[in-house]
Amino acid sequence: MPPRMQSRSVSNTLLPYLTSTSSSSSSLSSIPSLSSASSQCLSRQFSATAAPQAQTKLRRQMFEWLNNEGSVFKHHVPGETNYLTRLKQRGGNEGSETSRPFPNNQHFISEPILSEELRNEVYSRVVEQKKSVRVVSVELGIDMKRIAAVVRLVELEKRQRAQGKPLALPYARAVHEMVPTTPLAEKGERQTYHEPINDLPAHPLTGSQIFYPVPESRSFNRVEAGRVFSGAPAMEHSEATEISHPSDLAEKIMEDPNSIGWVGKGANARQILQPADVRIPHPHLVAQERDRLAHPNERLAVADLQAKRLERQDALEKERRERLQARREKKTNIVSPEDSRFDYRIKDTIYTTETTGVDGRGSKATGRRYGVPHRDRTRGEVKIPTRVEA
Amino acid sequence: MRNRASNTLSKGKIRQSWSKYNLYNMQRFRSPPTTNRTFFQQKWSAKAASRAYHGEQVREGQWKRMFNHRIRSVIPMNASDLAADDGSLVSSGRGSGLDKGGKPAYQTRPTPYTHMTFAPLERRLDVAIFRALFASSARQARQFVIHGAVTVNGQKMKHPSYLLNPGDLFQVDPDRVLYATGHTKTPYERRQGRLAQRKAKAQSSEGAEEAEAAPETEESKETAKEETKETEKEDTKETLKALLAQAKSVMSAGKNTLAPQRKQELRGFQQAVRRVLSRSESSTVLADSLEAQFSQLTLLLKAKRSEKPEKKDVKPRPEDAFATDRGDAEVASAKKDTEATASDKLSEAFAQATLGNEVDASELSDEEFDTLKRALTQMRDNPLDNSKTYSTPWQPRQYMSAFAFIPRYLEVNQNICAAVYLRHPVARPGSAEVPTPFGESIATPAYGWYLRRRW
Repeated sequence: MPPRMQSRSVSNTLLPYLTSTSSSSSSLSSIPSLSSASSQCLSRQFSATAAPQAQTKLRRQMFEWLNNEGSVFKHHVPGETNYLTRLKQRGGNEGSETSRPFPNNQHFISEPILSEELRNEVYSRVVEQKKSVRVVSVELGIDMKRIAAVVRLVELEKRQRAQGKPLALPYARAVHEMVPTTPLAEKGERQTYHEPINDLPAHPLTGSQIFYPVPESRSFNRVEAGRVFSGAPAMEHSEATEISHPSDLAEKIMEDPNSIGWVGKGANARQILQPADVRIPHPHLVAQERDRLAHPNERLAVADLQAKRLERQDALEKERRERLQARREKKTNIVSPEDSRFDYRIKDTIYTTETTGVDGRGSKATGRRYGVPHRDRTRGEVKIPTRVEA
Repeated sequence: MRNRASNTLSKGKIRQSWSKYNLYNMQRFRSPPTTNRTFFQQKWSAKAASRAYHGEQVREGQWKRMFNHRIRSVIPMNASDLAADDGSLVSSGRGSGLDKGGKPAYQTRPTPYTHMTFAPLERRLDVAIFRALFASSARQARQFVIHGAVTVNGQKMKHPSYLLNPGDLFQVDPDRVLYATGHTKTPYERRQGRLAQRKAKAQSSEGAEEAEAAPETEESKETAKEETKETEKEDTKETLKALLAQAKSVMSAGKNTLAPQRKQELRGFQQAVRRVLSRSESSTVLADSLEAQFSQLTLLLKAKRSEKPEKKDVKPRPEDAFATDRGDAEVASAKKDTEATASDKLSEAFAQATLGNEVDASELSDEEFDTLKRALTQMRDNPLDNSKTYSTPWQPRQYMSAFAFIPRYLEVNQNICAAVYLRHPVARPGSAEVPTPFGESIATPAYGWYLRRRW
């Protein structure tokens, strides 16, 4: 594109100003070239029409907004959120407004993150004080998955610090200033809960609406509702009277996970839907509440019962984990030859119709089979990994 | 893939980006009108608006295969409610609980299911990196992955479309994160970086030559040492004074100070500290920990704490750097922001310090010790280094705070730029975890668009 020409009046007024203030610090380097170019323009003019305006209307409006209303978003104020909603809330005085980043979306809230101190506290309780994840989760009001992640991340951070790897400390500080955080409670104060810890996932079976007539005289509880949703027959009377409260089932299932019944046959077989008391992450909290209701004036006794319950649960979980691990080890034979970079895990092949198909050429079957192309060679095979082993 | 995700003002689309254009577009965005438009048209425009934000880098066919009409949701349960009732109260009477003055037994807010339409896209590695605030746009996150700066569970992952599994830990190179979230370099800084590079190159070539002529210069060095020992005693007081003054100017520089001037101050302070520390006997001080440096510095300058305000001793602060950073966070922020509460306190302390200095330079108050230390901490954690790709000392880029939030399904450690994908995003009564700038009037028609199979 040929060089655009400035309108005459502009360049005329600009020229002496530029030459006279050449000593000023700004744009020192650009002055000689600019002045020479504009003097050239003055000497020969090709077109009488003025060049179009440098900014479109939309751009002008944007910079106007950015320089006036939008200027508050340029920098943050430490300890406060700085979202677009603050422009609209000037009239109102709601506190929850400040934690919504999107003005049009009422349902998205910027939730607090763990502060650095709380994160270190979680790590020290789990790793140094050797408390179980379940206990720490209830104490601090943090989800069990998050606690596991925090321990993993702090461990990684310690390793990286020891190795002298680069860290992003100023960045971390800035983010913690911009985003709401859950602080660690002072000594003697109650820790504020970070998030709800007893979330019940909505089961797809409960989505359907079922008309199920029940006599008014009969009490219909969560255990029975779960059976109705999964299409299981009603319990025997003797079986039903054994369960005084759905949370009894939680303890029973904890001890014997195979006690959950099944409905359907073959590929359609599925476990009977259990009541919420069993499916929540912390069923022991319900049991504790029931103890409290039963013994309202015996706080110590209730706490003692709860401690014992947690201990038993931990022991059972540990035992189950070990049993699983042992079974896995028994199944696979690991051969690690000397001066080799690799371990070889050798598993026995199970040759049944389920694993290899009716004709022995199933797509999931192991080994080379006549007429079945290698996985790499099949059409439409996606090579992007679906999981990365930790 | 061609980048079509420009922030045009004429279209006014909202993108996954922290640019100021995007901020402006987000602020002026209005839901498309519904009057006199067919339902198809409404769904079409809702889909267009939401797809410009959600997974704009994903082809439509690819996204359609990912879409699932079933949406994950949870209901937070209250243990005492569960203990008090086994469910028979809610189902008593004719099946919906006995009437209590027309009030339902359990009051719940509606769950915004349709806001979760694009939840499967949040599993993508590039989107998760953007959500963890490690990149300033989903496109940039994608580039980080492709360029090999991202690991998943410790292994390099080069596919931006990798779908994270619950429990996956992903980590981005901290330098890239600082580049993405920090201020860009000014031309002045870029030139300084080039000059420094050139100088380093020249020095390395000179160093090779000097190594041959080293034995001759040793004698002259020793004589110089003796001279400095004599002068040392006299100038400790003055050095301390100068150091303090520099620390003060470094820590209290207002926002109206010009950038080059600030850099000069910082560099001057850095050099002064180095000069003092080089006098010490141990040769490793310069590489030592901050605590060691600080104690060495005070020892060399023969600085004592004044006896009067005996609030706290020179107790070693916790090794953890963040704890020491917290104090200087206030100052750092005051330096670059309009709020100046912390700097008020400091300047007051310095006003007292300057008065005290005239009496005795080697007696320092607590505040002065703190300031000196803070300046040192900042120098270590956020140094001036023109060889970096971002403006140093690092500060967050403009307009970052308007986009800064971290959704619940991620647990992020900013220090090492690593995050764990805890679980898939869920909806709960009253809130949805998928960050979307659109309201009900766009989310629901867009969900409706994908409910029907059109291919």
